[in-house]
Amino acid sequence: MAAVLTDLAPHLALAVGGLAALGTAWLPRAAARSLTPVVAALFALLPGLWAVWTGGEASGMTRFFAGLLSVITLAVTGLLARFADRRGFAGDALYGLVLWSALGMLLLAESTDWIMLLLGLELASLCLYALVAARTDDGLGAEAALKYFLPGAVGLAVMTFGVSLVYAASGSLDIADSLAAGGPLVAAGLALALVGLGFKLSLAPVHLWTPDVYQGAPAPVAAFLSTGSKAAVAAALLHLCAEAPPETMDVLAPALVAVAALTMAVGNLGALLQKSVKRMLAFSSIGQMGYLAMAALAVNDGGGEAALYYLAAYALMDLGAFGAVGALSGDGPDRDAIESYRGLGYVYPWRCGALCACLLSLAGLPPTAGFMGKFLVFGAALRAGYVGLAVFGILMAVVGIFYALRLVATLYMRQSVEALPVLPAPTGPAAAAVLWAVSAGVLALGLFPGPLLAAIASIVGE
Amino acid sequence: MRQLPWLTLLVFWPLAAALAMPLLRRSREACRRFALGAALAELALAGLVVLLFAAGRPDLPVVEDAAWIPALGIRYTLACDGLSLVFVVLTAFIGVCCMLTSRHDDASRPALYHALILASLATVQGVFLATDVFLFALFWEAQLIPVFFLIGVFGHGERMRVAIKFFLFSAVGGLLMFLAVIALGIHSADLPDGPTFALFDLTRLSLPVSTGRWLFAAFVLSFAIKIPLVPVHMWLPDAHTEAPTAGSLILAGLLLKTGGYALIRFALPLFPEAAVAFAPLLTILGLLGLFYASAVALAQEDVKRLIAYSSIGHMGLAVAAVVSGSRLALGGAVVMMVSHALTSGGLFAQAGMIGERLGSRRFDVLGGIWNKAPGFGAAFLFCILAAAALPGLSGFVGEAMMVFGLFRVDGLAGGFAVAGMAATLIYLLRLARDTLFGPARSGLPFPDLDARETALLVSLVLAILWLGLFPGPVLQLVASPLDAVAGHVWPVAGTGM
Repeated sequence: MAAVLTDLAPHLALAVGGLAALGTAWLPRAAARSLTPVVAALFALLPGLWAVWTGGEASGMTRFFAGLLSVITLAVTGLLARFADRRGFAGDALYGLVLWSALGMLLLAESTDWIMLLLGLELASLCLYALVAARTDDGLGAEAALKYFLPGAVGLAVMTFGVSLVYAASGSLDIADSLAAGGPLVAAGLALALVGLGFKLSLAPVHLWTPDVYQGAPAPVAAFLSTGSKAAVAAALLHLCAEAPPETMDVLAPALVAVAALTMAVGNLGALLQKSVKRMLAFSSIGQMGYLAMAALAVNDGGGEAALYYLAAYALMDLGAFGAVGALSGDGPDRDAIESYRGLGYVYPWRCGALCACLLSLAGLPPTAGFMGKFLVFGAALRAGYVGLAVFGILMAVVGIFYALRLVATLYMRQSVEALPVLPAPTGPAAAAVLWAVSAGVLALGLFPGPLLAAIASIVGE
Repeated sequence: MRQLPWLTLLVFWPLAAALAMPLLRRSREACRRFALGAALAELALAGLVVLLFAAGRPDLPVVEDAAWIPALGIRYTLACDGLSLVFVVLTAFIGVCCMLTSRHDDASRPALYHALILASLATVQGVFLATDVFLFALFWEAQLIPVFFLIGVFGHGERMRVAIKFFLFSAVGGLLMFLAVIALGIHSADLPDGPTFALFDLTRLSLPVSTGRWLFAAFVLSFAIKIPLVPVHMWLPDAHTEAPTAGSLILAGLLLKTGGYALIRFALPLFPEAAVAFAPLLTILGLLGLFYASAVALAQEDVKRLIAYSSIGHMGLAVAAVVSGSRLALGGAVVMMVSHALTSGGLFAQAGMIGERLGSRRFDVLGGIWNKAPGFGAAFLFCILAAAALPGLSGFVGEAMMVFGLFRVDGLAGGFAVAGMAATLIYLLRLARDTLFGPARSGLPFPDLDARETALLVSLVLAILWLGLFPGPVLQLVASPLDAVAGHVWPVAGTGM
C-alpha cells in the first residue's frame, strides 16, 4: 500500500492540489486572492520534489515528466498570479484547472496503456479548453477555446478510432504488446493514433488551430498550452515510435518524414508572415515540433535522449517568451502587434532581456539551450540516416533565425517609445522570479547541459 | 606564472568587462575609460602570453583542456600555437583601436556600445583559440550576435535591415557547418576514444571521399561567406558601410580574418583530400574576386564602400594563396591577413573621421583634405600605400610571398595575381586622388587629427611599418603550425620554401 502511495504521490498531489485550490473559495475573499496561487504552487512543486527524491519503483520516464511538468506548472502558476488577478479572471477554478490539466499531462506522458493515454489526453485537453476561455471579458478567448475544442474533439475521435483498430487487431490494450503484434490493421490504427497526436502536437497539416488559439488565450495560458501539453503529447509520440515494430515503422517513416519536413516549413515560413507576436510564437512552436518529430523518427538512434532534452529546453524558452509577452502587456488585451514592441528593450530591460534570451534560444543560437537542443536533435537525425531531412531542417532553422531576429531588432533597434500605446502592468514578484529563473535556465542548459544529459541518459538506459 | 589559465582569461576577460559595463552607464567618460582600460588589459594579457610562451623559452602550443559535456565527447579545449597567437595579438590590438576610434557613435548608449565591442572581442578570441570543433562552432555562431547588435543599434542608414542581412548570410553558412560538425562527431564514434570533437583526433579520421567533400563544402561555404569569396560576398559592402566605425574595424579586421584563419586551421587539415580537389575552384573564385572587387570599387561613390570592396579583393587573393599548395604562399596569406587588418583598420577609422567631420563620406564632397589637414592626409596616404603593397610596408611582404608562391605552383595563377594587384592600385590611387588632392569641394572646416586620433593612427602606422620591415618574428611564429598543415595536406609537395 505504501509503495503504491509513493508511486502515485505526484498524481495525488496534483489531484488533491486542484481540490485544495477549489477549497480556498471557503476563505474570505481577500485571503483567497493571495492564498490560492500559493496553495497551487505548493502542490505543483510536489511532483518535482518527488521526481528528485523518490525511493519508489517509478520508471525514469515518469520521473522525468513529473519533474518537467512540475516546473512548467509552477512557472505558469507564477506567471498567472498577478496577471490573472489584475485582469479579473483569477479564482479558485483557474488554478484547479491548471493542476488537473497537469495531472492529465502526467498520465498521458507516462501511459503504457491505450486507455490511460486517451484518458490523460482528454483530462488535459478538457481543462485546457476552459483555461483558454478563462478571461470571460475577452471575446477572442472564447473564440479561441471553441477553435481549440472542435479540432481537438475531431483529433480525439480519430485517435479513439485508431486505438480501437489496434485493440481489435491485437486484442491487447497494452501499448507495447499491441504494437508488437504487428499486421496491417495495427499499422493503420497506429497511423490514426499518430494523426490524433499530431493534432494535439500541431504537426502540419493538422496545425491550423494553433495560431488562433495561442493568440486568443491569455499569455500565461498560452505558455502552458505550448509547453505542458506539447511535452506530454510529445512523450506519447516518442513512446509510440519507440514501441512500433520495425516493419510498421518502415511503412510509417516516409509519412513521418514528410510530416516533419512540412511542419518545419509551415512553422518557420508561417512565422515570417505574422504581424502578431503571439501568432509568430505559435508558428515558431509549430516549427519546433517539426524538429521534435524528426527526433521521434530517430528515436532508436539517440533521438529519444535528444527529444527529451529538446522538450526541456523548449519548455523553458516558450515559458519565457510567452511569460515576457504577458509581463509586457497592459491591463487590456495582451501586447500583440510586433510594431508595439518598438524600442521597448531600453525601457523595460529585464523583461525584454528575458524575451530576447528566449527568442535567441528559439532561433537556436549559442550560448542558449536551443543551440544544444539543435545539436542533439540534428545529431540524432544524421545518425539515423535522415540526411536530407536534416539539411532541410537546418535551412528552415535559418528562417527561424530571421523572424526571431526581427522581433529582437524591433525591441532594440527601432525608435518611438513615446508613441507607446499601453504601459505594461506591474508583473508582481512571482512572475518576475519566473522570468529570471527561466532565462537563467535557458543559459544554464546551453552552457552546462552535462547534468541534464546524464540524467536523461540514465532514464533512457533503464 | 605559466600555470595560470591565460587562454581562458584572454577569452573571458573582455566578456566579464562587457558584463560590468552597465554599472557605468550613467557617465559616458567612465564608460570610455573603463572600456579602453579593459582593451589595454587584454592587449597586455596577449603580450604576456607572447613573453611567457613564445619569446625566450618557446613553449607552444599552450593548451587548456577540461571536460565539458562528457556524454557527447565535447571538451573545453583552448590551444594557442604560433598561428593562433598572431591573431590573438591582432585581435587585442584592433580592440584597443576600436575603443579609440570614435567619439560620435557611442553618444546615445555608451555602456551598450562598449560592452558590445568587448563581447565581440571575446567571441573572436574564442574562435582563434578553440580547437575542440564543437567549441569552435559555438564561438563561430556567437561572434555574430554582438556584431549584429553593434550594426543594428549604432549603425547608419538602414541599419536594422543591414544587420539582419549580415546575420542571415553568416547563419546560412554557420548552420550548414554546424551540421557538418555534428556529422564529424558521428563519424568519430568509430575512433578508439569514442566520439570526440578534438581537432587533432578528427584530422586522423578516414572519411569516405564523397562524405569528406560534402563536409568540406559545408565548412568552406561558412568560411567563404565570412572571408568573403565572391559569389557570397553580398552582405559585406552594406554591413561595412552602415556599421559604426568600430564595427567596420571589427568586421574587416577580425571577422574576415576568422574566415581565413578557420580555412587554414580547420578546413584544410580536416579534409585534405577535398581541399586538394577543390583548390582550383577556390583559386578561381579568389582571383575572380580580386578583379571583380577592383572593378566595383572603382565605381563606388562612398569612401567606406570603396574600402569595403577592397577587402573582398585582398581576401580573395589570400584564399587563392592558402589553397595553392605552396608553403610560401600560405605564409604570405597569413602575413597579408594581418597586414590587411591593420591597413583596412586605419582606412576605415579615417573614413569614419571624414564622416564625422563632413557629415558625408561621398567623393563629391571630398578633395583637398591634404591642404586642410596634412597630418590626416599623411596617415591616409600611408595606409593607402600600405594596402597597395609599397615595399617596406606590411602589404608588400604578404603579397610578394603570395605571388612568388603562386608562380611556383602555377604560372597562370601567379600572372593573374600580379595583374589583379595592379588593378587594385587603380582604385587605391583614385581613393587618394579624390580625397586628399584636388580642389576642396566642401566648405566645411576639416580640423586635423586631435590627440586621440593621432594616438590611434600612429600606433597603426607603427604596426604597419614594423610588419613591413621586420616580418621575421611573425613568420617564425607561424612557421611550425603552417608546416604542420602543409605537411598534412600536401605531403608530396613537401614543405620546401
